Amino acid sequence: MTQDVEMNDQPAPSNSVTSTGPSTLQHVKEIASLIETGAYAREVRRIVRAVRLTIALRKKLKASVISAFLTYTLTPGSDAHTRLSSYIPKDDELDMEVDTATSATQTPPAKHSLPELEIYSYLLVLIFLIDQKRYNEAKACASAGIARLKSLNRRTLDVLTSRLYFYYSLSYELTGDLAEIRGNLLALHRLATLRHDELGQETLLNLLLRNYLHYNLYDQAEKLRSKAPRFEAHSNQQFCRYLFYLGKIRTIQLEYTDAKESLLQAARKAPIAALGFRVQCTKWAVIVRLLLGEIPERTVFMQKGMEKALRPYFELTNAVRIGDLELFRKVAEKFSSTFSSDRTNNLIVRLRHNVIRTGLRNISISYSRISLADVAKKLQLDSANPVADAESIVAKAIRDGAIDATLDHANGWMVSKETGDIYSTNEPQIAFNSRIAFCLNMHNDAVRALRYPPNSHKEKESAEKRRERQQQEQELAKHIAEEDDDEF
Amino acid sequence: MDPKLTEVSQVFDRFKAAFVRKDFDTCSQLLSQLKVSLTGFKSLPPLFENTPNAIHELTLARDVYEHAVVLSVKIEDQDAFERDFFQLKPYYTDARGRLSPSPQEYPILGLNLLRLLVQNRIAEFHTELELLSPSALENPCIRHAIELEQSFMEGAYNRVLSARQTVPHETYVYFMDLLAKTVRDEIAGCSEKAYDSLSINDARQMLLFSSDQELLEYIREDHPEWEIKNSLVIFQRAKESAPCKEIPSLQLINQTLSYARELERIV
Repeated sequence: MTQDVEMNDQPAPSNSVTSTGPSTLQHVKEIASLIETGAYAREVRRIVRAVRLTIALRKKLKASVISAFLTYTLTPGSDAHTRLSSYIPKDDELDMEVDTATSATQTPPAKHSLPELEIYSYLLVLIFLIDQKRYNEAKACASAGIARLKSLNRRTLDVLTSRLYFYYSLSYELTGDLAEIRGNLLALHRLATLRHDELGQETLLNLLLRNYLHYNLYDQAEKLRSKAPRFEAHSNQQFCRYLFYLGKIRTIQLEYTDAKESLLQAARKAPIAALGFRVQCTKWAVIVRLLLGEIPERTVFMQKGMEKALRPYFELTNAVRIGDLELFRKVAEKFSSTFSSDRTNNLIVRLRHNVIRTGLRNISISYSRISLADVAKKLQLDSANPVADAESIVAKAIRDGAIDATLDHANGWMVSKETGDIYSTNEPQIAFNSRIAFCLNMHNDAVRALRYPPNSHKEKESAEKRRERQQQEQELAKHIAEEDDDEF
Repeated sequence: MDPKLTEVSQVFDRFKAAFVRKDFDTCSQLLSQLKVSLTGFKSLPPLFENTPNAIHELTLARDVYEHAVVLSVKIEDQDAFERDFFQLKPYYTDARGRLSPSPQEYPILGLNLLRLLVQNRIAEFHTELELLSPSALENPCIRHAIELEQSFMEGAYNRVLSARQTVPHETYVYFMDLLAKTVRDEIAGCSEKAYDSLSINDARQMLLFSSDQELLEYIREDHPEWEIKNSLVIFQRAKESAPCKEIPSLQLINQTLSYARELERIV
């Protein structure tokens, strides 16, 4: 299965670690204020940025920082505060002093009761617990957060909740109890659908697919996937995952052409930092291409950082390319542990048939006429009746269009047909047309995908003017409300 | 013991007795009766409630459905097989941790694989295969089905047919016979494309008929387009993609116009 790849573009913070205590806290507080403004202004973008910044801070999070942050955002003594603080281990007193000092200097903050901040606190604690490998506490914390979420319905929360769902599932996966939460995830997906929380639906659908695929339940996964509503992707990361799962399902169900498309797209769309994810995608894509009878180029296996992981697949490809059954068997045996940990063993068993096809194609190209006994020998068919086997295998290959030949039963020959001049047919014109269509489509898609910042023309009005406008609007609203009151 | 449970066990015992006697009509009747009474137990899927008798009830129910599957093979009812198998499946997957493994599990799973193969539902075949553990794949019953699928895909049809002699379980014979029919159709389809003509004698051997009469019958029914002349079966070959003589002008005009339109949009 895929390693859980954090597909967030982390700019790996390399600055000094010495200044952790107060400055990290400061950072977290900045993030909190970012969320706050985001929540007030209903700008989801800011919250997205806040989450991204948090991930960048991840390595620096400490128990002390978090408990200070909790005191800062949540009312001490409130439900959430006591619950969350109970997960945080009380240690490193040294830092604590610094924190009390900083929080003392703060003007006693007017306690924010924003649900966004509360959920954010849950998220922060959860990330911290997972990083500390306290999975059982993480599970408890995530469940508490999810329970709290159910009573909140705000679109500005969507980004935070989708992250919370993700870590909820991750914490269960790390302890190997994914099956337990399947029902909950389904219920959450339903809830997200009812609330039109598209990002949440997207995330939960992926989590569910992952959950099913973890137990190889391809049937259920496909049923859910085909029935769940789809819309334009909100998050590139989630879309990549979706494509990957889709590719896997289709591979298992023998829809190789579609599978190849999804897997390649997933590999291309994935951020550079998500190496593990891209390796997985490439592995599956290689097998699917082999199953389709294509031979992936050498450069596929030479991508930076992937050479070692893809080595078994490289040798496998080589065996298929030559069409040597013996070599294929050896490779499959040699790397069987890799293949079974990648869960591609069953797919490789399917490949045997392609090896025979390639071998047969090579024979058909090189000989214009060859006896079936020789074919059997060259393909190394070891069975009781190799000639009869070879005959029926060749017959099937002819029917499937893999080779262009005829059989002569009386003489026991296979006669290859001369390949006609392809340029005398419409074939080149069709190929040319499909390429042109592809290029034109690509251009159109690129044009359509151009994005402009929202309200860029309005941005020009100064902050002051905006405030004025907002004030006017508020007054207007008040008037209307008053008028409404007057009427009764 | 719970009276309801005792009652079901008694009915089941009668069912088993009838099963041994090969009295399949009585079996079917008793089976529907059993299925109805099984719905009364709360410990069974989908509820899976943890009642005191849960293990006992689950084991009994699993036993009932296992017999139901085998019965459906005996009375050669594929739809009933599918239904019963799906009812049985949760006992193998979801209740795996609570029950001791059944000796019938692998034969029945193999049987299901074989059924999917016969019905040519290869995608589902592979989906089911993914659910099996590596140790299960080594089991002779499962192995048998996997090897069949491979030979089938490769086109080594005589290997498929010879596998009939090595069936791991007597219930497999029914599906193997069905498979033989599928294989014959496949061979006919392949021969049609691969040979220009075959002598009647060879064709008979290849399509596994015991007499020329049967062969002629088969050709008349399934492949009326084959011609029989001078004790040769001549296959009417589909016309090859002949070199193109005519230029598909209308299509070309349409394409060129669309290029022009798109180009205009770009410039």
